[in-house]
Amino acid sequence: MVREFNIVIAGVGGQGTILMTEILGKAATIEGLKVRGSEILGMAVRGGPVSSTIRVGSEIHGPLVPEGKGDVLVGLEPTEALRNITYLSKNGIAVINTRPIIPYTVPLGLTKYPHIKNVLETLKRKSRSVIAFDATKLAKEAGTPVVVNMVMLGALSGTGKLPIKNETLKKVMKAHFSKEMARINIKAFDLGFEVSRNLAKRN
Amino acid sequence: MLRDLAKGLPGERVFLLGNEAIARGAMEGGVQIAAAYPGTPSTEILETLAQASKHLGLYVEWSTNEKVALEVALGASICGLRAMASMKHVGVNVAHDSLMTAGYMGVKGGLVVVSADDVRAWSSQNEQDNRFTAKQAYLPVLEPSNVQEAKDWTADAFELSEKFNQVFMLRTVTRINHARGDVTLGKLPKKHRKGVFRKDPSWLTHVPTTARKNRPLMIQRFKKISQAVNRLPYNSLELVDEAKLGVIACGLSYAYTLEATKWLGLDGKVSLLKVGTTHPIPEDLVKRLLSSVEEVLVVEELEPFVELHVKAIAGEENIKIKVHGKDLIPLIGELSTRKVTEALAELTKAKLPIDFSRLDQLRKETAPLIPSRPPALCPGCPHRASFYAIKTAAKSVAKNYGVEPIYPGDIGCYSLAVAPPLETVDTLISMGASIGVANGLAHVVRAPILACIGDSTFFHAGIPPLINAVYNHAKITVIVLDNLTTAMTGFQPHPGSGFTATGVKTTQLKAENVAKGCGVRFVEVADPFDSRGAIDIVQRALMFEGPSLVVFRRKCTLMELQEKRKRGEKVVPYIVDAEKCKQCGVCIKTFACPAIIKKDKNYAIDDLLCTGCGFCAEICPYEAIHLRGKEHGERI
Ligand SMILES: Cc1ncc(C[n+]2csc(CCOP(=O)(O)OP(=O)(O)O)c2C)c(N)n1
Ligand code: SF4
Ligand code: SF4
Repeated sequence: MVREFNIVIAGVGGQGTILMTEILGKAATIEGLKVRGSEILGMAVRGGPVSSTIRVGSEIHGPLVPEGKGDVLVGLEPTEALRNITYLSKNGIAVINTRPIIPYTVPLGLTKYPHIKNVLETLKRKSRSVIAFDATKLAKEAGTPVVVNMVMLGALSGTGKLPIKNETLKKVMKAHFSKEMARINIKAFDLGFEVSRNLAKRN
Repeated sequence: MLRDLAKGLPGERVFLLGNEAIARGAMEGGVQIAAAYPGTPSTEILETLAQASKHLGLYVEWSTNEKVALEVALGASICGLRAMASMKHVGVNVAHDSLMTAGYMGVKGGLVVVSADDVRAWSSQNEQDNRFTAKQAYLPVLEPSNVQEAKDWTADAFELSEKFNQVFMLRTVTRINHARGDVTLGKLPKKHRKGVFRKDPSWLTHVPTTARKNRPLMIQRFKKISQAVNRLPYNSLELVDEAKLGVIACGLSYAYTLEATKWLGLDGKVSLLKVGTTHPIPEDLVKRLLSSVEEVLVVEELEPFVELHVKAIAGEENIKIKVHGKDLIPLIGELSTRKVTEALAELTKAKLPIDFSRLDQLRKETAPLIPSRPPALCPGCPHRASFYAIKTAAKSVAKNYGVEPIYPGDIGCYSLAVAPPLETVDTLISMGASIGVANGLAHVVRAPILACIGDSTFFHAGIPPLINAVYNHAKITVIVLDNLTTAMTGFQPHPGSGFTATGVKTTQLKAENVAKGCGVRFVEVADPFDSRGAIDIVQRALMFEGPSLVVFRRKCTLMELQEKRKRGEKVVPYIVDAEKCKQCGVCIKTFACPAIIKKDKNYAIDDLLCTGCGFCAEICPYEAIHLRGKEHGERI
């Protein structure tokens, strides 16, 4: 049995971070793993940063991934991934959606959004392995940009590190969504899985 | 998306949110009445119970505020039913008055109060350690360390409450309420009790003689509990031979402590006392630990509550030992495995498992690349339009005074108007305080004073200060931002919504009628999306000689969209006509709907975000914004 596997998921309110966490947790429970997780809601749902954790293994206790112990950091938005970079362990993998979401304060001139190249380069410099791609584009390909979270779930699995089987994840997805939505979500999952698996091989 | 947990079978393993687990625990513990007022991080407890209510025959309600919620539960307990009131930490302040007397009275049916303490104020106006409140009221406190315990101990709390004849508090922190974990379900009780009210003024009528009679009884009961906690399974002592260091880990801190000791390679080398009853603490176990080690570290979240008691025991027993706590465990922020690891490393001189300073350095280095991302009112939110009108009207009237208008604010989605460009929340203190503070301001400064308060907040705590304004001649304008729901906490119904927690239709109270009944003589209702009409009403309200009240009524857009989706209606977005747009930026500078985006110099509308409210079209001076497909700017 896996002893400790830590995932941090970071995104922006409305991107479906929490649903991703729930599907992972339910699947892990079905597979008989000990699961812990946590999420921050509240003010964050109105377009602020949202992060959640999911942990599996026999040696975990708390709901939070300790800093420096994350096995995978999933960033549904690139700067949100960067905001959580300290959670990644030395050997951890960052799986990143390269599509930025610009805060409303940017056009107001109150903040600057960095050059995306800069963000990705920093992420690459600071983590051992980065899998980055435009997940929003793949979500649209699957049917709607809303399913970007399932593209990223697929991508998480595509790293080859996740101790949960694809079929269990899909089983949970099928139970959660209506038939038509399940089809789109699973397509999104598969697209994310493929891209990530190919990129992981190259790394 | 909370599930109907009444249907879970005993022995089944399910993945639950902490709050779902607490709700299931209450079901297993035989709760029959549950009442609450929403508040992060406690809200999902009642929502889960509401879902199960039909199946299990429970009575579940959203009360007007936490004080009422506690009193509803108290009423049931007096009749012999098991009852629960759940609330966020600040809610306990609202309920405090009745809670204190409830402590004197004890219970008939088990009564459990859940205090969800939002450590780090993730979505609160402050932080609060309600173990101090519990102490003042002589209430025993259970503090679970994980989601399974949250369920199991909630169930137990009802039994314990009856056994010891006292109200029990379940104290949780955000990382228990909003933690998730795999949980094994227990049995649901088969039998339901029938409540009976028996008159007993010597118990229930707290005139001074009753208080004097009940106080020694309460103290006696508490002594019994203090003895019993040493043997209850929520506390456990693992003494390690020759260990120099002892750790006392309270509630969730126990989980962090287990991880930290393992990470440092100290597991099996320190003596460990897990404290699940943080009030009263298990004194005998503490004494045994204190007399077997040279140093002790108390790990707990927020205040040094257990630490103070441990220090008192050491002093009383004359045990010469150094008791550490908040000297090493930060008073600020949430606890984490890292913080406990650092504290333990400092005490034991153990080598840190990783170089944390490298992580801090990394955070510093990357910070300039990370944009601040404050939460914002949703695209199409009626509050944004309301504030636009309120501000425009207030500025025009303020000219007569020669001073800026003042906006005492309140708590809800509309608090987000504190940010530019609206900047119409000048104070935020506690629920209802907008009107209360406005009363004070009105007697001190001469300026237009506009107390802006949400509908749920108005019913919760806004009515007494409104009456006060009428009674004491405070010339203020109260704005009730009525979106027909409690949006901030996730769309719970309230007395102005027209239906209850379980979806039963009920009287829909209107703030304007309440205001009239309270004696306010200027009362009008405005539509946020009719800005001209709304500005006019607010101007007249501000010019009125006495207290005035304006209700801005429009359903929360997120709710509206959900309903539209269900009905199969499509949202038609607005677009910016690039030819007509003069790039003046008024739409962003004064209104800042997040759906309006700027690409280089050009303005556009994100059609995925736009809800089609049309307000930006109304304020665009060049008529450059119109409904998609309506090329000539005609509005529908
Ligand atoms: C005593 C207390 N109870 C609960 C809360 C949590 N809370 C904050 S605002 C709010 C109500 C928001 O509803 P409303 O006033 O209708 O404004 P909306 O969010 O719908 O705009 C609640 C329940 C709190 N801060 N204090
Ligand atoms: S949830 Fe409703 S009230 Fe709250 S910001 Fe969004 S639209 Fe406005
Ligand atoms: S119509 Fe304008 S103000 Fe309304 S949601 Fe769309 S962009 Fe925002």
